[in-house]
Parts: sequence; C-alpha cells; structure tokens
Amino acid sequence: MTSLPVIAPDETAQSLTERICAVALREGAPAWTPVWWWLAFGLSLGLLGLGVVAVMWLFYAGLGIWGIDWPVAWGLDILNYVWWIAIASGGTFISALFFLLGVEWRTALNRLAESLTLCAALCAAIFPILHLGRPWFFYWLFPYPNTMGLWAQFRSPLVWDFFAILTYVLASILFWYFGLLPDLATLRDRARGQGRRVFYGVLALGFRGSGRQWQHYRSVYAVMAALMAPLVVSVHSIVGMDFAGSAATGWHSTQFPPFFVFGAALSGFAVVLLALLPLRSLLGLHPYVTERHIDVLGRLLLTSSLCVGYAYVMDAFATFYGPDAADRTMFMLRAFGLYAPVYWGTIVLNIVFPQLLWWQSLRLTQPLVWLIALGVLTGMWLERFQIIVTSLARTQLPSAWGQYTPTIWEWSLLFGTIGLFLTAFLLIVRLMPVIAMAEMRAMLRGMR
Amino acid sequence: MIVVTFATEAGMMEAASDVRRSDPGAVETYMAMEPQDAAGGSILPAAMLCGGIAGGLGGFLMQAYATTISYPQNVGGRPDLSWPSYIPTTFELAVLGAVVTGIAGYLVLARMPRLYDPVDESAGMRAAMQGGYVLVVRPADGARARDVLSRHAPIGIEEVAE
Repeated sequence: MTSLPVIAPDETAQSLTERICAVALREGAPAWTPVWWWLAFGLSLGLLGLGVVAVMWLFYAGLGIWGIDWPVAWGLDILNYVWWIAIASGGTFISALFFLLGVEWRTALNRLAESLTLCAALCAAIFPILHLGRPWFFYWLFPYPNTMGLWAQFRSPLVWDFFAILTYVLASILFWYFGLLPDLATLRDRARGQGRRVFYGVLALGFRGSGRQWQHYRSVYAVMAALMAPLVVSVHSIVGMDFAGSAATGWHSTQFPPFFVFGAALSGFAVVLLALLPLRSLLGLHPYVTERHIDVLGRLLLTSSLCVGYAYVMDAFATFYGPDAADRTMFMLRAFGLYAPVYWGTIVLNIVFPQLLWWQSLRLTQPLVWLIALGVLTGMWLERFQIIVTSLARTQLPSAWGQYTPTIWEWSLLFGTIGLFLTAFLLIVRLMPVIAMAEMRAMLRGMR
Repeated sequence: MIVVTFATEAGMMEAASDVRRSDPGAVETYMAMEPQDAAGGSILPAAMLCGGIAGGLGGFLMQAYATTISYPQNVGGRPDLSWPSYIPTTFELAVLGAVVTGIAGYLVLARMPRLYDPVDESAGMRAAMQGGYVLVVRPADGARARDVLSRHAPIGIEEVAE
C-alpha cells in the first residue's frame, strides 16, 4: 500500500481557511476572476444556449424533430438520462459510502464530488420530462387527488424511477447544502463587502458554530450519509429495472440492476477525476488534493471497470447459455452488425484502457489518467447507446426491425446539457468553497 | 453578555467547564469544527427513524389504497395488492421522509435560520468560524464570571449588550 500523504505536511487550519476562502472571495492576488474561468463559462453558456434553443424548438414542433420512431422509441433522450444519472453517482459514492468507511482521503474530495452529483442529477432530470411528449403534464406522475380519478401505475418500474430520481435529487441537494452550512458561515464572517456578507449570511442560515449546532450536526450528517449510500444503489438498480422490466431482447435480465450500479460507479469516479485534475492546478489545490487522492481514484476507477467488465462477460454468457434465439441474434448484430463500432468502442474505452491503472506510476501520470477518465465517460455513453438502440432496433420479430439515427436536435440537447452541467459547476466552483473546510479542520486536528 | 476569545479548543472548554461550575448563567461555545469531546447526544437520529417509518408506511399504504380501493386494475393477472412491486417506492419515500425530518428537525433544534443574534455585535465572534475559539457567557454574577474567565488566559474579553 502506498504511503503518499493525504495532505501537505506544512498545512494548518488557518492556511486551509485562507486558501479555500480566497478562491470564493477572490482575496489576495489576483483579486479578479481568472481568465480561464470566464473562457470556460462563456463556452458553457454557449452550449447551454444551444440546449435552450433545442428545447424551445421541441416544445414548438413536438417529438417529431427527434429521430425516434417505431421500433426505436427510446433514443438519445433516455440514453442521456441514464448517462447523466450514472455520472451523478460518483459524488454520492465518495461522499456517503466512504464517509461511512471513515477513510481520510474522502474529506478533500467530497465537496467537489457532491457538486458534480448535483449538476449531473439536474441534467438527468430534464430528459425524462422532455421525453414525455407532453411535458406540461409531467405532474401526472405525482400521486395527487385529481378529478380524473387516476393514479400513477405503481407496479411499473418507470414510476419507481420517478420516485427514485425525485428522492435522489432532493436528498442530494439537502446533503450538499447541509454539508456546506459551516463553510458558508466561514465565508460570511470572512467576506469584506456588505453584498458578499449578506449573500453568504443568508445562505448560512445563521450557522455560528455553537455547541448546540455542532451537537446535532454530526448526527444528522452521519444518518444522511447512511441513507444516501443505499439510496444511490437503489436509484441505479431501479434505472436497470426500467429496462429489465421490459420484454425487449437484451433487456429482460436479472443482472441489470447490479450491472447499472457498476456502470454508475465507473462513470461517477471518472467524472470526479475529469474535473479534479484540472481544478487541482487551476485553483492551487495541491496541498489538499495530493497524489494520494489521484492514486485512490485511479484504483476505484480500475475496480469499477473490472466490475463492469464482469457484467459484460456475464451478459454475453447469459445470452448464449439461455434459450432465446432472438437474444443471440441481437447480440451477434450488436457485436458484428451495423452498430459494432459502438460495442467494441465500449469494450475498449471502459475495460481495456482502464487496465493501465494497474501500475501506480501510470495512475500518477495525470494527463493519462484524465484521458482514461474521458474515455470512460465516452465509453459509458456508447454502452448506453448499444443497450438502448440495438435492443430496440432488433426486436423478436424480424419484420419489425429498424434503425435509429439521432437528429441534430437530439445532439443539440446532449451538448446543451453538457453546457448546463458546466455552467452550474463553474458557478459552484467560483462562489462556494471547493473543499469542505470544517471537515478538513477536524481531520487536521486528528492528525496533529 | 461576555464574549471571550481563546487560542485553543482545550482552553475554551476548560474555561466553559469552570464557568458552568461557578455560575448558573448560560454558557455557549463557538468554533469552526465539531468539538473534539462533543457533549450530549442528539435526538435527531431517532426522529429521522420515525420520519423514515412514516414516509415508508405512508408510501406503502398510499399504493395499497390506490391499487385496491381507489383504482383497482388488472395488470397481467397480478393481484390488486401486489405488494412486492410497492417496495421500491416505499423505500424511496422512507428515505425522503427520514432526510426531510432530519433537516427540518436540525433547523428547529439548532434554532435556524437566525440571521441576526446579539452575539454578532461582538468583534470576536467573527473569528469563531475562521478557526477561532469563542466562549459566550450570560452570567448571573458578571464580576465573578469575569474573574473565573481571566484565569484561563483568554486572548480577549468583550462585554456586549443584549
């Protein structure tokens, strides 16, 4: 086991407070928001604008502007939903699961990881609503007294999914915000201008670090972490059941729930690495996000890649071990037919490239790790494409076979949500403490 | 009230204990991280358990009512009360109930939101959430409390009007 330090040896609670607050409050030099942030923010807003146009046009013209049709009635909309919600899981795994395990490296990562969760969950939540066709009736999914005398179909995984996402998004927001309260109070008391003091003061809700406030704080945080860990597993299991509950070829499998949890972990760890590596340099976080963190995340990425690889092998095994000829035909077409590049791209990006992370020297080669993480996110998108599109395109009846080509509006929506994700994340990075200062102080106290 | 600033957590905690022993007035500590020897438990985990049970039970009964009484519907020959399919929604609502109870309960017990408090008038309080250690005493006998506090080598002592 490596003995890389989890924090730079000369760091103190005071230097931590000064450095992290300086990012949000723009104290010290430079006192202005850096150029890289404005460039990234401008690009993100551009992408977000593209997404807004795509949504407006969708509302005006309807689902006909997308490439979905019979038999491929689920296209990039559901694909992007599954992709984003998987990306969201990383923050919860790191923040909740590793909190319960009591690992010290988690403390420097949890704020960034939770922020990524929040932004990705926001993007994911958009797609099922747009996919409804008549999105203004989305509230019909809520069980509310209505004059039609109707209820949501509680026996359908799609309704389970609604409750799962609703709970996950709300709980993620509350968990993130609750963890942020002490740090918002620090920013309030440190801010110089009246406007900033009011801004952070209102957000801090009057947290002052009193004995009474701390007495209950840790208990609530710990119980929430204990709830968030199974919650994230349930969310991705239910997403898997959205597919497994159907009789479509390639979907009707009991391994889908764990398969989707593995995929979520892989995407989640990849996006944390993808965001963390550049931010570590751009925000000067080297003393707190050390090579130890990069090493650990590399190991987690490798582990989850192996789990996903196991699921791919089991998927192929179950297909050929099972009795269904349609499943076998679909699998052969998936691997060697029109969409074969998607299948093999998935295998290479999700399974083959991450094997480089077996070597610590490569795990600590940051550009390589960043490229592997980017590859994994691309690979996970391709995986969702092959699960959704090839299964629907090759149904049991050859007379009902079809193809699917996404239109420019579907691509615009994908890039629009990438813009939304980046815009929200950049705002959080600019305005909020990127490292959980209160938790880091307690960790430093325990180490001294 | 008396607002006293200390250099260390141990110094503040010792002073707080001494003042509590010698004066019946209210004593509160302020610091930027969870105290090392946090005194007292919290009722909130139990409250969250109750909130979770209420959320889960409410969710289950709602589904049972909807599918058996309000709108029974034959789906693939399954019984109206097909309870295994209620479990995912029941679990999600249980978690939601627990989380919302935890946050709402915390706000009540921590007396938040409270954007203004008389202790904010003290200059020393601004250090509390930046790594400082601040003790606020509302003594019954001010002179005696000041005497006790001064024995613990505080960095600063302020008198703040309530």
